[in-house]
Amino acid sequence: MSAVWTAAWAAVRRRVLQTIVIGIVVLASTATIVMALGLLESAAAPFDRAFATQQGAHLSAAFDPTKTSADQLKQAAGQTVSAGPFPQATVDTSASQVFLGTLTVAGRADPGGPVDRLTIWRGRWATAPGEIVLNRTPGGEGGNNLGFEISIPGRPKLTVVGFAHSVTGSADAWVTPDQVNALQPTALQMLYRFPDAGTAAKVAEGQKSVTTGIPEGALLGTLSHLTVKDKATSELGVFIPFLMIFGILGLVVAVLIVANVVSGAVVAGFRHIGMLKALGFTPGQVMAVYLVMISIPAVLGCVLGTVAGNFFAKPIVQDAVEGFGVTELSFAPWVNAVALLGMPALVVSAALVPALRARGLPAAQAISAGTTTHTGRALRIQRWLTTTPLPRSVSLGLGVPFARAGRSALTLASVVLGVMTVTLAAGLTMSVTAYDSAVRPSYDDRVEVLAGRPPGLPVMRTPEMGEPPNATLSDADDEKMLRSLPGTDAVLAVSQLETEVAGGTQNATIFFYRGDTGKLGPRVLTGHWPDGPGQVVAPSRFLNQRGLQVGDTITVQANENRTELKIVGVVLTNNEDEIFADWSALNVLAPGTRAHSYQVRFTSGTVRETFTAAIAKGDPGLRVMPPRDGSSSTGVIIVSASVTLTLVLGLVAALGVFNTVVLNARERRRDLGMLKSIGMTPRQVTVMLVTSMGVLGVLGGLAGVPLGVAAHQLVVPAMAHAAQSDAVDVLMQVYHAPALALLALAGVVIAVLGALVPARGAARLSIATVLHNE
Amino acid sequence: MNNDAVVEITDLRKEYSDSIALNGVSLTVRAGEAVAVMGPSGSGKSTLLNMIAGLDRPTSGSVVVHGTDLGALDETGLALFRRRGIGMIFQFFNLLDDLSALDNVALAAQLTGTPAGQARKRALELFGELGIENRKNIYPARLSGGERQRVAVARALMNRPALLLADEPTGALDSRSGEQVMDLLLDLNQIGQTLLLVTHDERLATRCASRVIEVVDGRIAREQSVERVS
Ligand SMILES: Nc1ncnc2c1ncn2[C@@H]1O[C@H](COP(=O)(O)OP(=O)(O)O)[C@@H](O)[C@H]1O
Ligand SMILES: [Mg+2]
Repeated sequence: MSAVWTAAWAAVRRRVLQTIVIGIVVLASTATIVMALGLLESAAAPFDRAFATQQGAHLSAAFDPTKTSADQLKQAAGQTVSAGPFPQATVDTSASQVFLGTLTVAGRADPGGPVDRLTIWRGRWATAPGEIVLNRTPGGEGGNNLGFEISIPGRPKLTVVGFAHSVTGSADAWVTPDQVNALQPTALQMLYRFPDAGTAAKVAEGQKSVTTGIPEGALLGTLSHLTVKDKATSELGVFIPFLMIFGILGLVVAVLIVANVVSGAVVAGFRHIGMLKALGFTPGQVMAVYLVMISIPAVLGCVLGTVAGNFFAKPIVQDAVEGFGVTELSFAPWVNAVALLGMPALVVSAALVPALRARGLPAAQAISAGTTTHTGRALRIQRWLTTTPLPRSVSLGLGVPFARAGRSALTLASVVLGVMTVTLAAGLTMSVTAYDSAVRPSYDDRVEVLAGRPPGLPVMRTPEMGEPPNATLSDADDEKMLRSLPGTDAVLAVSQLETEVAGGTQNATIFFYRGDTGKLGPRVLTGHWPDGPGQVVAPSRFLNQRGLQVGDTITVQANENRTELKIVGVVLTNNEDEIFADWSALNVLAPGTRAHSYQVRFTSGTVRETFTAAIAKGDPGLRVMPPRDGSSSTGVIIVSASVTLTLVLGLVAALGVFNTVVLNARERRRDLGMLKSIGMTPRQVTVMLVTSMGVLGVLGGLAGVPLGVAAHQLVVPAMAHAAQSDAVDVLMQVYHAPALALLALAGVVIAVLGALVPARGAARLSIATVLHNE
Repeated sequence: MNNDAVVEITDLRKEYSDSIALNGVSLTVRAGEAVAVMGPSGSGKSTLLNMIAGLDRPTSGSVVVHGTDLGALDETGLALFRRRGIGMIFQFFNLLDDLSALDNVALAAQLTGTPAGQARKRALELFGELGIENRKNIYPARLSGGERQRVAVARALMNRPALLLADEPTGALDSRSGEQVMDLLLDLNQIGQTLLLVTHDERLATRCASRVIEVVDGRIAREQSVERVS
């Protein structure tokens, strides 16, 4: 064991608590960073791998066969690597025993080819009439049994002979080209690969080159691989900005604490350094003692943090990448390498400044140095404080931070970061809650009434539900009845339709609204509510996932009916596959459909039970739904992670204060002994030391809250963007004056919590011990 | 003539921003000598010792110890020089609080590359010679002043230094402990250890030194040889 190691190890043992604090801080921040980087890596990697193996399509396009032909499409593609055209049919399975929604079925002879090489992971490819292969993600066991039949009235019966996976989701199912003609195809599917498709602009360029010469209006819709990738990665993507900011906050706190601990050790160790030098430690060795002292907990914390980060990230990632058929999962080595090398390097460099100071300290001066240094300014402030009418223990305490300005600044900074974290986490929690209640409202002044089965959906029945709803009155009479009930304030009639959006396998459920849409419909963020048949509004996620914007037109198809809808607005809802139209649009796609549900708002003072009973009396075939529960699993994860990380970082900030009080008390033990020898009670000593940190707590609260709000304004848009949503006001405007005042108090809480234990310890120290050790 | 000189100081000056600590000191200490430095507080005694140990650098003048001009050494060079050439004892002991008495002493040998086990063995021998064997696992905070100083002496002797520097080694001790430490130093000198000692106590100075130097205001004011009693 070398002398450096002996001295460093002795210093570590002497500072068990500080060592543990450093270890915990490094552990927490490493774990968070590893999770963030791991997710960043894992979010995209499985998709990229699967995309590369399958030679995934950079662009999928659907064409109208009545306006163009297979030959024309092939000719237009020219030298571009392409597959197809594959005839494509839309199949409504709602009448089948096995409900699979609306399927986009492509006729394909061969799962291989130059583009979109499908992975058949169970069974075999469809080779004969009556056989169908479904697009399913590999792995999941439940329900993935071969051999079941899909029967659609008026169409051939189809037996499932295999499961295949297309990473870009070029179709929901495949049959032979002969078979698809029996299913009445309505589109021609082309799949393209471009030499360069890294950006949306490049994809658009490619699209232009493969569609030149094709008649106007023949192109029904397209889907870029970038859009598919964004959607595939969005589940993990939401967590990344969130973990990043907490990881960075953790890192900064770690750096601050380490800097504070080491400079404290250097200051308190002036004599220690002098002694080492007098013994013959070289300046380099003195520095090494201080660096090794800090490296021990840093390396340990970092290793454990990396393990913990891997451990906690795995289930999240596993869950999210299962869809890509990734079974064995490990982060790219660079994630762990960055953590294992980068974190200790960062921590050690935080220790470097004070360690260099120790290195350069002249030995003679160090050996004769006194225990406390009072600067002139500190003395002046202290003198002024004693003239105030404050109790002496408080005024003495208020002066303490000025004696060690550097240390107080570092402590203040960790309190600021603690408050910032609390503010940010509280804001995120409020955002998530506000968003959840905006998109999944559970109003206590509304009832939802079911009138029947929406077209294209099977009847979901559970024993508790009894008979399915089946309205006895006509749609118009039901609405009239609901409006006439005492207490009714507004009524909205709703019907829904499963449709296929041209281009790829993009289904969308269109909700048709009639009645008081202004009062009961979703909030319109931009544009306006549809006021004509050819209009639709959509949530931002629908638009972002499909690369659309307000003003664009989409082609939707329900059974044989196809229509174009113009996007006229953005609404605040969460489900990316649900869009909204005016009742008048229903007449084009599904004429004669009745409302399958009503939303009714009642006036205040109306009793829900009485109201519900009145509805049942008006039409016994209607059923009033129980109030909805509004929370999402992502929301739950974000809220619980926020709370955990806040507790950890708040604790760490408090430990920073703890450390400072320990250092202050150790340095001032002679002063404390003196104060006690002249009659200061232990209680007064405690008050004095706690007050000294309370000042920092107040300042930290005032500075930390605005910083936390700023961080919130930065993180939320990033998370919203990753979720392919937009930073709407319910997400952004969550802080209110009383909440802010409460958050500012967090600084005082952190400071007092951290200061109390060491202050009491110092207060109990016997004078004899203090004097003996001098 | 000065072939056996351990310390040769020539016209040494040390100025601080607001005072002159040493103002032209020349001094030679020969091997085997015991030199006592006396003088009022603030006269520059500690500064003189620090210069000899290479803990601080002179404003002008030279310090040559064992033929090495300290002015020619950098910080690391000075540290290596101290390790082997100098043993230091202070008024306030300056032991490392976080190491046991034995480890404090062993540390000095570890610095010169001696393995920890061997260093402890040698430290234990010294503890035996100094009569503090039973205190070896005690931490400095729990030792009495006299015991702490004996541990400090053991540490200073660990690497068999050519020169032992002691700055008021009895200043913080009661008279009995002080005398015991002085006896220890005297014994060491009698077996050939060169010793430079700062003290306030004239009786102790004359008892264990062969030469007494008096420093006043940074200058050597008086120098006298002593006929030692024992
Ligand atoms: N590091 C220093 N900085 C400034 N002045 C110093 C320093 N060390 C000693 N002095 C001054 O030098 C003078 C001599 O000090 P010192 O050698 O400690 O005296 P002694 O040991 O004889 O009491 C004193 O005036 C003291 O104030
Ligand atoms: Mg002195």
